[in-house]
Amino acid sequence: MVSHLFKTPRLLAGGMLLMLITAGHASGQDVQVSNARLSLLPGEQPGAGYFQLHNTGDETAVLVGAQSEAFEDVEIHMSSDENGMAHMHAMEQVAVEAGERFEFAPKGHHLMFIGRKQALAEGEDVEVLLQFGDEQRLPVTFEVVSPAAL
Amino acid sequence: MVMRLLILLVSLLLVGCGDRNWRTAETSEIMPLLDFSLIDENGQAVEAEDYQGKVTLVYFGYTYCPDVCPITLARLAGTLNRLDDDVREDIQVLFISVDPQRDTPEVVKRYTNAFGSEFIGITGELAEIDALTNRMRVTYDYEEPNQRGDYIVTHTSAVFAFDREGGAQFLIRDSHPISDAVADINRLVNDGA
Repeated sequence: MVSHLFKTPRLLAGGMLLMLITAGHASGQDVQVSNARLSLLPGEQPGAGYFQLHNTGDETAVLVGAQSEAFEDVEIHMSSDENGMAHMHAMEQVAVEAGERFEFAPKGHHLMFIGRKQALAEGEDVEVLLQFGDEQRLPVTFEVVSPAAL
Repeated sequence: MVMRLLILLVSLLLVGCGDRNWRTAETSEIMPLLDFSLIDENGQAVEAEDYQGKVTLVYFGYTYCPDVCPITLARLAGTLNRLDDDVREDIQVLFISVDPQRDTPEVVKRYTNAFGSEFIGITGELAEIDALTNRMRVTYDYEEPNQRGDYIVTHTSAVFAFDREGGAQFLIRDSHPISDAVADINRLVNDGA
């Protein structure tokens, strides 16, 4: 028990040191995004963003948020199904290891686009800025699609 | 004599369970008749009996759900697209909101119209929605609102199928292949099961 008490802060300190060391690296620029779609229905209802992240860099890339001028808010969300119940919850961040791909896909991780500021039609483009943990920003163009097309 | 008895036994077995061998999940033993008094997408008071005469598929959701609900309805629309036109004419899909505070008739109408003419939006008094969900033994739950006042609703994720008289027949989950849902809906429309 005592050794645990000693170990935990040491591990934490080690982790923080690692974060400080890696903080200067530009992981955002080493991330490629493909197949970015914004699933949207007519009206005020929120939309869902789906895309694939590919971390081509040497460091873990941590997506911490997103923003778009077309929406008041963009959040990282995850849907799950537990015992026949559909759940959804907000996530602080999504980490993608070096060399790995990560899919934001229907009924899983998605960006939730809330409070659209302008009418958006199928086929139109929406500019979204993905924010990574190291202050990097990655602009991505999402195509507006109907959920029926997914 | 023994042969006759055997034939009788086999026929009884067939009548008892053989004809309800759905590929998706059977519900006739666990769910009561479809019964509700709600408000349709045109603001009209409606009863479950008003929807008798067609096979009815029911999904409980809410329109501020950006991912699971539209994807489920889109998948269902894709399932219906695999059916013959005359079969599809005998099917209606009720999207019953469990979030009537935000889902007015106008909102559910616009939402369901995006998926096809078979999709009908239903909302109503919360007490009436509770009466229906309690009766069907399905649940939903509101999470704490965030600073914008938005809230997430946890809800049952299956699609429930009822025959022309409102009798529960089967439910479709995400884990069921679309081909199984197509086969069961086809059979329900054609055989009346």
